[in-house]
Amino acid sequence: MSRGGNAYLSVTGLGFSRGRSPILKRLDLQLRDGEITLLTGHNGSGKSTLLRILAGLLPPDSGEWQIEDGPRQPWKPNRQMLRRQHCYLHQQPYLFDGSVYQNIAYGLKQRGTSRREIGIRVDEALHHVSLQHLRDRSSRALSGGERQRVAIARAWVLSPRLMLLDEPLANMDKKARQRSIQLINQLAADGISVMVTSHDPQHGELRIDRHLHLYQGELSERETPVAS
Amino acid sequence: METLSEAGTQALRLLLTGDPALWSIIGISFSVSLRAVLIAAPFALLCAFLLAYTRFPGRRLLIALFNTALSIPAVVVGLTLYMLLSRAGPLGDLRLLFTQNAMIIGQIILSFPLLVAMGHAAFQATDRRAWETALTLGARPWRALLTLIHETRFGLMAALLAGFGRIIAEVGSSMMVGGNILNHTRNIPTAIALETSKGSFAQGIALGLVLLLLALALNLTLSSLQGRGEVAA
Repeated sequence: MSRGGNAYLSVTGLGFSRGRSPILKRLDLQLRDGEITLLTGHNGSGKSTLLRILAGLLPPDSGEWQIEDGPRQPWKPNRQMLRRQHCYLHQQPYLFDGSVYQNIAYGLKQRGTSRREIGIRVDEALHHVSLQHLRDRSSRALSGGERQRVAIARAWVLSPRLMLLDEPLANMDKKARQRSIQLINQLAADGISVMVTSHDPQHGELRIDRHLHLYQGELSERETPVAS
Repeated sequence: METLSEAGTQALRLLLTGDPALWSIIGISFSVSLRAVLIAAPFALLCAFLLAYTRFPGRRLLIALFNTALSIPAVVVGLTLYMLLSRAGPLGDLRLLFTQNAMIIGQIILSFPLLVAMGHAAFQATDRRAWETALTLGARPWRALLTLIHETRFGLMAALLAGFGRIIAEVGSSMMVGGNILNHTRNIPTAIALETSKGSFAQGIALGLVLLLLALALNLTLSSLQGRGEVAA
């Protein structure tokens, strides 16, 4: 059963092609607050492309988006607005050269947040992912699991409306995977709409509300996998 | 003709006693080449970024042109610039010929392709996720570019040092558009050429030593930067 709240983002007619090969064929999609959407599909099916487009990182060939009851927006001229509200996490998140603190503070600085406020919110974010002890550690000295938690904290601190996680549970040991699942569930509990890609529909305790499958450029709704 | 050892000894004496004519030449060399590389760098690095991170028709051709421009002889740049800046040339009214500004323009033209080529390689080698991460965290494109420059700083510093190394030692362009005027446009390479033609090797060797020391310092800095870049990656 869906825990999702109000419809947050409605996308219509989203199309994207590479050369002459269509990757996404005029998709319609609706995402809700506090809902975890699992997006599956085989390698190269366009999952990451869809996430990048929703994050405002890649311009589609066609399509419009609408946030809540706002006006319908054509995609290309309004990508910066999407970037301010949506956060995309790579399969292996990139951390900037610098400390964990500097990484989490990065987005807040871009928004002109005061230094004092940044300090408070970064500490909150570190507490949220249980990494207070790594505050001043160099980002280069972190393990894979820690890097991902820092990346989640770096996105969470910006209070995004939508988080787009590209294969967040791939190549992780059991403990790191469990921690990441808890964090993703917590994101949805905080009211953030979360979209997670995977080529494997089994995700342990990840509480998936919707399961979409991307095949040959088209989206279909599938039965939601039961949390184990 | 002086023997090599006599000339060498005299060269060291000139350097160590702070010979004013010699140090004026060294000062002009550094001042002209530093200004040239600092003016060229922002445009060249922006160009390198656009070639590495955007797709547009003719991009590959442009990359090939910049790579080709790497091997343009300095004297050809000097000749072209001389024709443009001479009294009868289309830019003659600017009265730039035989000035430091003309030398700077020549050196900008010489260093630009190298800065673009090395900057392009540095940006290409940087993880593309850095750019996307900056954008997805809400940075406007120009702030994301500053972040990317910070992440690529070791490679870009190497490009700047290589560009500086290329122009401080060039003689063709500086000689033609600078005119080799003492205390005004005489730099290390043009002075070496002049002193050698006069058969006065001491000053030429002293200036050559300065260039060699500079080359050594640049190489040490470059390898140190490359080492740091590898550690950071």
